[in-house]
Amino acid sequence: MSTGSSALPVDAGRSGGVAGRRGGGIATRPAGVVEPFRDAAQQADAATLGMWLFLATEMLFFGVLFFAYGLARAAMPEAFAAASRETSFLLGTGNTAVLLTSSFTMAAAVRAAQLRSHGTAALLLLLTAVLGLAFAGIKLTEYGLDYRHHLVPVLDFAFDPRLARGALLFFWLYFTTTGLHLVHLTIGVVLALTFAWREWRRRTARLHEQVEIVGLYWHFVDLVWIFLYPCLYLVSRT
Amino acid sequence: MSRPAEPSPPPLRHYAWTWLALLALLALTAGSAFIPLGAFNLVLNLAIALAKALLVVFLFMHVRRGTPMIRVFALAGLMWLALLVGLSLTDFVVRFG
Repeated sequence: MSTGSSALPVDAGRSGGVAGRRGGGIATRPAGVVEPFRDAAQQADAATLGMWLFLATEMLFFGVLFFAYGLARAAMPEAFAAASRETSFLLGTGNTAVLLTSSFTMAAAVRAAQLRSHGTAALLLLLTAVLGLAFAGIKLTEYGLDYRHHLVPVLDFAFDPRLARGALLFFWLYFTTTGLHLVHLTIGVVLALTFAWREWRRRTARLHEQVEIVGLYWHFVDLVWIFLYPCLYLVSRT
Repeated sequence: MSRPAEPSPPPLRHYAWTWLALLALLALTAGSAFIPLGAFNLVLNLAIALAKALLVVFLFMHVRRGTPMIRVFALAGLMWLALLVGLSLTDFVVRFG
């Protein structure tokens, strides 16, 4: 009935008191499976499900901002068109390509983790983090340009007076949505670096589950940007 | 009851194709923005964003291979968002429409 001497180290710290009673032995669990779960597949499903539940709340979090954007744009289409033309098409489009590429490297990292190729997974997670940082760098460069073009609300916003009210609202939404996106991205970079390190050190037996969860988060951040890009950069370019 | 411990992940080239498709869609949406199509520009931009999102959700986020429960959870987020937007819209449509 013992869990056996072959048990791999699991992250006992995270599972708290429950882990302490494991091996008190109601049932034998495979290595890396903690108390309420029967086997690794059930445990991985539960973790994925929990992440999707969190992502559902994130959908609502960003959803209301898109809703506000839709209402404001419907009310002031000309101002939104003029304001959108002031954003940097090249930096915005280039950044979208960077982020889509980072989702590819993240998907490849999750795959490597599932195949237990720890070194490959670590390198791909590191590459994903680097692409995330490149995105952040480009975005901050853009904020600098926006400031020089007097597009930052409160600081020194100046716009064609006929359209200034709507343009001001556009740039409030622009900075709120891209700012919140950037916060999410930064968290993603920290997670990617953390798990790159853990893959490198082959930290726990549950690593592939955890990397899958990090991947879901990363792809969600990419999804938000996929919708932000046309809303902010492509309103009126003709 | 229990499924096989882990389904083997898809080959890397599937992800590579998805990535190339995403970049192609980005080129399409960016390019189309410079062609005057009137309201159709907006429709095209949103349709392409939706197509990109579906690629990411189904292939990168593994919803295509996911359990039915995961699909329900992913849809639940959309359902609550639709309720929120739909009920809020009734207010705006009635008062300002």
